[in-house]
Amino acid sequence: MPQLTSTDIASALEHWADHIAACGESEPPGLVGLISHGDVLARRLVTALQKRGVQAQYGAIDITLYRDDLDLRKERPALRSSYLPFSTDGMRLILVDDVLQSGRTARAALETLFEYGRPARVELHCLVDRGRRELPIHADYAAFTLESAEKVHVHLLETDGEDAVLY
Amino acid sequence: MTNTYITNATWAITGQHIDLCLCPAAESISTVFLDEIPLPDVKQAEAEGKMEIPEHARVIDASSKLLMPALYDLHSHIEIPGRSKRECIMRAGEAAIRGGVWGMLVLPSPAFCFDNGATLDSFREAATVRSVADMTPAGCISLGMRGLEQAPYNTLATMRGVRILSDGEDFPSNILMLYRAMQYAEDLGLIFAVRADVPALTEHTYAHPSVTAYNLGLHPCPPCAEEIGTETLIRLAEATGARLHLQLVSTAESVRIIRRAKERGVHVTAEVALHHLLFTHAQIGDYDTVFKTIPPLRDQADCEALLEGVKDGTIDCIVSAHTPCSPFSKKQDFVSAPAGMVMLDTMLPALYTKLVKPGLLSWGELIRACCLKPAEIANPREQDEGTPHAAPLLLFDPQVSNLVTEETLTCGTLNTPFLGQELHGAVTLPLR
Amino acid sequence: MKPRKDLITIESLSDEDIHTILDSAVAMKEIFTKSVKKVPALKGKSVLTLFYEPSTRTRSSFEVAAHRLSADVTTFTLATSSVVKGESVHDTIDTLMSMKMDYIIVRHKNSGIPAVIARHCNASVINAGDGAHAHPSQAFLDAFTIREKYGEIAGRRVVIVGDIRHSRVARSTSLILRRLGAQVAFMGPGSLVPPKEHTGVARLHTWDEIFTWKPDVIYLLRVQNERIDSPFFPAADYHQAFGVTEERLRRIEAQGMSIMHPGPVNRGVELCDAAMDYENCLVCNQVENGIAARMSILYHLTPGTLSHD
Repeated sequence: MPQLTSTDIASALEHWADHIAACGESEPPGLVGLISHGDVLARRLVTALQKRGVQAQYGAIDITLYRDDLDLRKERPALRSSYLPFSTDGMRLILVDDVLQSGRTARAALETLFEYGRPARVELHCLVDRGRRELPIHADYAAFTLESAEKVHVHLLETDGEDAVLY
Repeated sequence: MTNTYITNATWAITGQHIDLCLCPAAESISTVFLDEIPLPDVKQAEAEGKMEIPEHARVIDASSKLLMPALYDLHSHIEIPGRSKRECIMRAGEAAIRGGVWGMLVLPSPAFCFDNGATLDSFREAATVRSVADMTPAGCISLGMRGLEQAPYNTLATMRGVRILSDGEDFPSNILMLYRAMQYAEDLGLIFAVRADVPALTEHTYAHPSVTAYNLGLHPCPPCAEEIGTETLIRLAEATGARLHLQLVSTAESVRIIRRAKERGVHVTAEVALHHLLFTHAQIGDYDTVFKTIPPLRDQADCEALLEGVKDGTIDCIVSAHTPCSPFSKKQDFVSAPAGMVMLDTMLPALYTKLVKPGLLSWGELIRACCLKPAEIANPREQDEGTPHAAPLLLFDPQVSNLVTEETLTCGTLNTPFLGQELHGAVTLPLR
Repeated sequence: MKPRKDLITIESLSDEDIHTILDSAVAMKEIFTKSVKKVPALKGKSVLTLFYEPSTRTRSSFEVAAHRLSADVTTFTLATSSVVKGESVHDTIDTLMSMKMDYIIVRHKNSGIPAVIARHCNASVINAGDGAHAHPSQAFLDAFTIREKYGEIAGRRVVIVGDIRHSRVARSTSLILRRLGAQVAFMGPGSLVPPKEHTGVARLHTWDEIFTWKPDVIYLLRVQNERIDSPFFPAADYHQAFGVTEERLRRIEAQGMSIMHPGPVNRGVELCDAAMDYENCLVCNQVENGIAARMSILYHLTPGTLSHD
């Protein structure tokens, strides 16, 4: 199975942070990671942005309660606590996820987000875009595009003990 | 009618082998003793030139089977709510015969309220026609079993031959009524069959005070209610000279109270339900309504004391406490469901499997507690006091085992604790 | 958590189930902080509250929980139903199931009724209190409240004071706390505390013994005279003998213990007025956490009405 290594991911995150900083407006953005994995990436991006002098806000949301497939599952997934310690009203928010595929998670994330307030602008960023969209949703930024991959597994140091993308 | 002969049987009480005997008509057996074979061994008689087997006689090969008197049950309810009385009588009779029970005392119930001559007559008539087992009704103690005023004992006893009075299992709410009833009925030789209780202590209670009662949140039924009731009834019997039969004794202390009373010569007999010998409150598990009984199933120590009481004769009889409950009623919650089990269908196989086979009870003790004593108390064939009663014989094959299923139950309901279990022993009754 | 249709008792849950429901309750509580206090998890699902015993608090708590999960709630009112005419529970449920309910929340005075209903229908049945048997949602909100206050339940000491014998709260709450590693003791009048051989829980006899034992939480049960057919204790004595008096409140304050109560509080019986204003009196936290715990329970059950074939 081919894979992206920790070096690939580290340099991708640097580019990603540069991209966010470059599109910066006067107000620093809020990075909202999708639990789980997206929150880890958002945390790293916030740190990387700090080094570039951008004080981005960090948040994480659990979108489970907004999923459209809850009734299709035999068991309900455990819930994680969302963390959004700032008012989102009028902010530039960046949703951060590991893999963008059908777009259903992103849809649920948008619904979740709008129940916290009315942001000025929401972007969708992901580590891997693997195509196969089922909804009219596109990534504003994707670090990697792996559209032909059969399967994509993202491993991150904080949750899985290593940084790697297997596909 | 040709006679029936039995070959190669074993007399259950003594274990003696009988080569060949004439199977007697129930009426003709008037001597069943514990330690003696009551039947003349035909081969022996033949050898002595006293008897011959007719050419076309029916012969039953009873190899490996036990020959014993059939059981008599002193505590049966036969009403199935919602069914016709005729059906109840027929099914109970069939169930009894299957379980080795030839006759039973039918306790009064709302459908069979034996507080007047007419109800008794119509029941007797129906029972004669519909039941394959002998059914003797017990008269009511109080009118309508309400515990307030006495039933017409003279009519019941002298005109209708009632020997035992009972209000089902209810303790009369008016103890003065009972006291006067006992005084009044003394001359009639009636026996008062009463379940000892203090209703104020047991109202709205559903289980023995135990882990089970606590975990299931069932209000506990204090054993002292039965024990106070036992003392009370014994004192009343002593004071009035009435014959007392204590129904459904369930606690170790009750056994001790009865033992002391018997030692000082009180005219008291006592019975225990088979389920109180076999099961404890633990069987209730997660609200299994089959194990809802009144009095409730108690501790292991109580089971042991009750069995000891049976063995030493303190407890005279083991009864079925047969109580049909419709499947729907038992599907309800534990508090709403009616109490009671059906037992007649499986009576002898259950006694054998659970008590005799594991060595807890001998055949002699079983036959005394299930055949001789109860029949003596009920005296169903109306013989003079003192002469041994009559009972038909049955053959019991301990080698056979049967699964208890919906199909094998003839009593009409399914509230048996043995459903889905293997019980050992098959009954052949009647033999002729 | 393995798929589970009903919640009848704490006993029936695995340790993992208990932790999952408690953890999700924390996430549920965060919903209350959003501007939109509602999530679409149970959108289009039907929840029925079937209370054979009056209870404003538990019923409203379940109703708010169901609303916050976007479920539709139907209230089956006893007074207008045929229950009073002696209809069997089975027949009532048959009628209700033809209305296609997904969740039935039931309270009844008879121990064991919710289990009977659960066997009889494919809706998820949640026991909201049956006789003296069980009250699992109360157990979860109590455990949640203690965990929220102390971080960890293991090693905490909780004494439950009052009518243990008739209390489903005492049974379910003591069970969940013990499963989570707390030490539990009972205290109350002799007629209302079954022996340790039956409960498995040590009994303390006096307030002095409580103060010596040094519990973290003192959990007062409500005196429910309406459920007791014949008096078990002289009512006039209760506050002096078993309640939190002002003098005892000072000792509780001095030791920093928390006070809990399932509500509604009989002021001047279980608790003196001042106890309600005590900073470590967690009664209001219990009410708020009750909604979160019940949301978590609703969310984690899988009704048989959803087909997964």
